[in-house]
Formats: sequence, structure tokens, C-alpha cells
Amino acid sequence: MDSLITAAAQALAVGDAVGAMKRVALRDDPPALALRGIAMAQLGDLTRAKALLKSAAQAFGPREAVARARCIVAEAEIALVSRDLTWPEKALEGARLALERRGDRVNAAHARNLQIRRLLLIGHLDAAEKLLADLDPSPLPPAARAGHELAVAGVAIRRVRTEPARAALARATEAARKADIPALAVEVCDAAKVLEAPAARLIDDGRERLLQLGEVEALLASDTLVIDACRNVVRAGSEIVPLASRPVLFALARTLAEAAPSDVIRSILLARAFRARHADESHRARLRVEIGRLRGALANLAEVKATSHGFALMPHDGRKVVVLAPPVEEEHAFLLALLADGESWSSTALAIALSLSSRTVQRALDALEAAGKVQFFGNGRARRWMMPPVVGFPTTLLLPGPLPSE
Amino acid sequence: MKTSQAEIVREYGPFEGTRNIGGVTYDGRRVWFAAGENLRALDPETGAEFTTIDVAAHAGTAFDGRYIFQIAEDKIRKIDPETGTVVATIPAPGKGADSGMAWCEGSLWVGQYRENCIHQIDPETGEILRTIESKRHVTGVTWVDGELWHATWQDDKSDIRRIDPKTGDVLERLDMPEGTGVSGLEADGADLFYAGGGGSGKVRAIRRPR
Repeated sequence: MDSLITAAAQALAVGDAVGAMKRVALRDDPPALALRGIAMAQLGDLTRAKALLKSAAQAFGPREAVARARCIVAEAEIALVSRDLTWPEKALEGARLALERRGDRVNAAHARNLQIRRLLLIGHLDAAEKLLADLDPSPLPPAARAGHELAVAGVAIRRVRTEPARAALARATEAARKADIPALAVEVCDAAKVLEAPAARLIDDGRERLLQLGEVEALLASDTLVIDACRNVVRAGSEIVPLASRPVLFALARTLAEAAPSDVIRSILLARAFRARHADESHRARLRVEIGRLRGALANLAEVKATSHGFALMPHDGRKVVVLAPPVEEEHAFLLALLADGESWSSTALAIALSLSSRTVQRALDALEAAGKVQFFGNGRARRWMMPPVVGFPTTLLLPGPLPSE
Repeated sequence: MKTSQAEIVREYGPFEGTRNIGGVTYDGRRVWFAAGENLRALDPETGAEFTTIDVAAHAGTAFDGRYIFQIAEDKIRKIDPETGTVVATIPAPGKGADSGMAWCEGSLWVGQYRENCIHQIDPETGEILRTIESKRHVTGVTWVDGELWHATWQDDKSDIRRIDPKTGDVLERLDMPEGTGVSGLEADGADLFYAGGGGSGKVRAIRRPR
């Protein structure tokens, strides 16, 4: 590398992004473009950073494989932090393979970590777990190691496994301490709070209380019959009946469970399951059909008994029955749950993460915005959504050094 | 053209507090290397470090028998290695796009990395006297026994090559092992080259073919 590039890279390495910019601001050769891109990312201008890194990657060309791959990885990281999930995964995987082939294990592992974080963000837990199982985190420097452990914790939390989550968070805390990046330490600390925060609401015999993740885990491990409205399944021990694609059955099961062991009169069931205000004969017929289906679905777990006024849920073997619901239930709760991570999201990214159409997400966002629950900045394709109290982009960028001599 | 594999005889470092090695030079006793924030010297026999001079050192390093010349940003500084004092400063010919540097016969020879060339300059004024074209990105430059050698690092590959100083034609080439780059180059006057190893943080001794 030449003298000014080395000087700029050295300035970047000690966090002096402005100093780095000063040295290469007027140069348009590929290493200068790459350094300017990284510097702009550190200064928070992610849009400009992405454009610079893209042109650097193109200018390096396929023969300067390492430098090019590192630019692509940096670009992917910026896309992830700005919640631009339309990032082409193939380019990142190609860059990761190129780095691995050339023996750059640190940045190859960093690229893998980004892939895992993206999968986690869009809720593809199985795929994320598979990649995690194959990743050897040992070459990662402390900062990237902290990011990796956060991903491990993220999977464990979503799988409701408290101990592995706690252990990963402890390792993340230790790695963030070693990395000595204040913003990263704060991020790990915030992530660790999740274990103490309410993870769900328990509705048990007409009373409600909030549960932490550990309590949820204990409940799911017991043989209590749980109508789980967080995942829309009915479960007892290892027996799980998924009802996510059958909302009417789930609504009936939940209504019956909230009243158990008492029965529920038909008009209430009709109102909850079909939103029918005035029940007629056809509604009653439909209710009979749906109750029949629910009976079939829950045959291994409980009986649905007809009573003189309606129906009652009777768990087998005299088991207890409870409802597990999200801590806050309101319309568009899933949207708010994603935005609660404190990042700014594009509506496209939210649509991808929730497997909903862009129009549905857009309508929901507009409603939430009107209610003052979310806010946006930017216009057109650059528009981003976030929860009101958040300022800026708190997620730490751990960008790779862009140049092969680095 | 003769080509062969570079034979790495010995490796020094990585050195505490230094991520990246730039230029390398040899004063007959000590191997000096540009370590970014400073210029460091090691004993090639024992590998022990002698001293550090606090002067920015981002690229090429050269020794004229009395003074060390060091490129940082877009300048070349002339430094007294015994006191660490900067005695003169001249502009670098590539305005900061410079990489390797060597001393020979009253001139400084400065590589310009991506422009694939080596400038012969006046060490008093920095004036460019002539320019030799190379075929590859130039990193280190050194003269030994009347031969001009320079290192290349391009497309993730590195080699050390002897070129005809008049035509720029490649006469001999030593290919570095895959994944091993040369950022700075100096001949010890006998059997060895000393080579900066860029981001590996290492200095390497490489057998010079005779």
C-alpha cells in the first residue's frame, strides 16, 4: 500500500475517521474509495458509505479478490445495520468463500456472522442455527466475537433456552470488555436485560401476571397444557399442536382455556372466533364444525366437552391449563416487536421479516404512525421507521479493514 | 527470465503495538522498519529490538550510509538515526501515492504503488530525475551490486524481481508463497533481502540468489 493509504488506514484503526477522510478525500483509486467508504460508515453516513464501498468493490475487480471481498462484507454489514434486508445474499456468500480460500479466516468468520445475524433478524432460526453450528468463532477478534455471542444468545432466547442464552451473554460481555468499544458494551448490556424483562403474560384461572424468559422455559417444560398465543400453538410437554395457520381453532382454544375449568357460552365463542355479533343458525352450524375440528386437533391433549350452554376444555389426566400471551397485546404487535429492537427499518425489510405484503405493512405503519407509536425519517425508498425514543443507529459497525495489506 | 520460489530464511515479529509493516532498510547492523507511528530497529542476529524513533513511517525507508530517509503521508523526511532528529524534509514524488524507497549513487529511488513505476529523485530537492516503468504495483525498492530489485504486490500475489533499470524489463523473479506479501525491501549487501510483511506484522529475511 502507498503512504497516504497507510496513513489513512492507520487513522481509521484508531477511530480517527475524519483524519482518514482528510488524507484520501480527493483520491478516487480503489483503496482510497474503500477507505473513504469505511470512514463515512464510521461517521454515520451509511448511504454515502455504501455507494463508496460499492464503487471500490467494482474498481478492485475480480483479480484483487481479497480487497474486493472485504468491501462487499463491509457493504453487507452496513446494509444489515440499516435494516436493508434486500441485500443480495449471494454476493456476501461469494465474498465469504473468497476470503476463506485466501486464508483470511477473521473476515470470513465475520462475513458468516453477518449471514447469521441477518437470518436471526428475519426469524429464520433453523438456518441461523445451522450456520452457527458450522462456524468456528476462535479467529474472531473481541469485537466481532461479541457480535457472534449476541447471535448465539439471540437464537437461544428465541428458542426459550435460558441457560445457553445466559452463557452466551456472559461471553459477549467479556468479549465487549476486551474490545473496549463503549457502544458495543452498551449494546451487550441492553441485550442481557432481555432475560430479566417480561417475556410473556400468563393467564391462569382468570388472573394475569408477567413471566420472565426463565419462567416461560419452566412452564413449557412442565406438563401444564399451555395455549401459547406467542407462537399460536397448543402444547403440553413435548406434544405440540401448531395452530398458526388455523386462527379460528386457536381463538376457540384460547377462549375455552381462559375460562377453564368452567364452560363458555356459544355466543361468546362465536364473538371471539368469528367476530359475529348476532349469531344465527348458520353461525351455530359453523361453530359445531369448528369445535369438531378442534376436538380432532387436540385429541391427544384435551377433550372439548359440550355443555348445556356451550363448550368446556377438559385437559387429559386432570392437567392444569393456562394461556401464555405476548406481554402487550394490541393490533400490529408483531410490527412493534420488530421495531422494539431500536433500529430503523424500511417497510420492505419489515415485510420480509414478517412474511407480509408491503401494502399490509404500509397500512399498519400508517395506522401506528397516526397513533404516535412509530415515526419515520427519509422519503421514498430511503424512508425508515423506528420507535419514537431512539436516536441514530446504536448498532456498532465492526467493519473489516478494506485492504489486503491490512 | 529466471523465476524461482522465494526462500524465506527467517521471520521476525509480529511486534507488540505494530499492526502493519511498511518500508525496511539496513544500516549494516540494524534492520529498520516503518511501523506506522514510528520507525523501529531490530538486530537481525538475535531478533531483539534496539530502539524506536517517534516519527510517522507509512511507507518506504532508505539509508544513505549516514541518514535514514522515511516516507510518511506525502513527504520524505531525512532522519539522523543516532539522535532521532529530522534534519530535512522534501516532497514525495507521488504526492502520497508512494510506496518503496532505496538509496543508490546519490539518488533516492521511490516506488509509486498503483502507478507501477519507480522515480529517481534528487534527495536534496525531491526533483524527479527520471522514471522507470514496471509491469506491476511497486512496493519495496532496493539496489544491490548494481542490480535494481523491487517487490510487487498486486491481485493478492507478491514477488521480488530484478529489472533492467534502463528498460524496465524483468530479468529475474522470486515468487512469494501464497498469502505472503512484501511491503518493503532491502538487501543486506550479502546473501539476504529483508522484506516488510504488511498486515502480517512480520519482517522476513529472504535468500538472495547469486
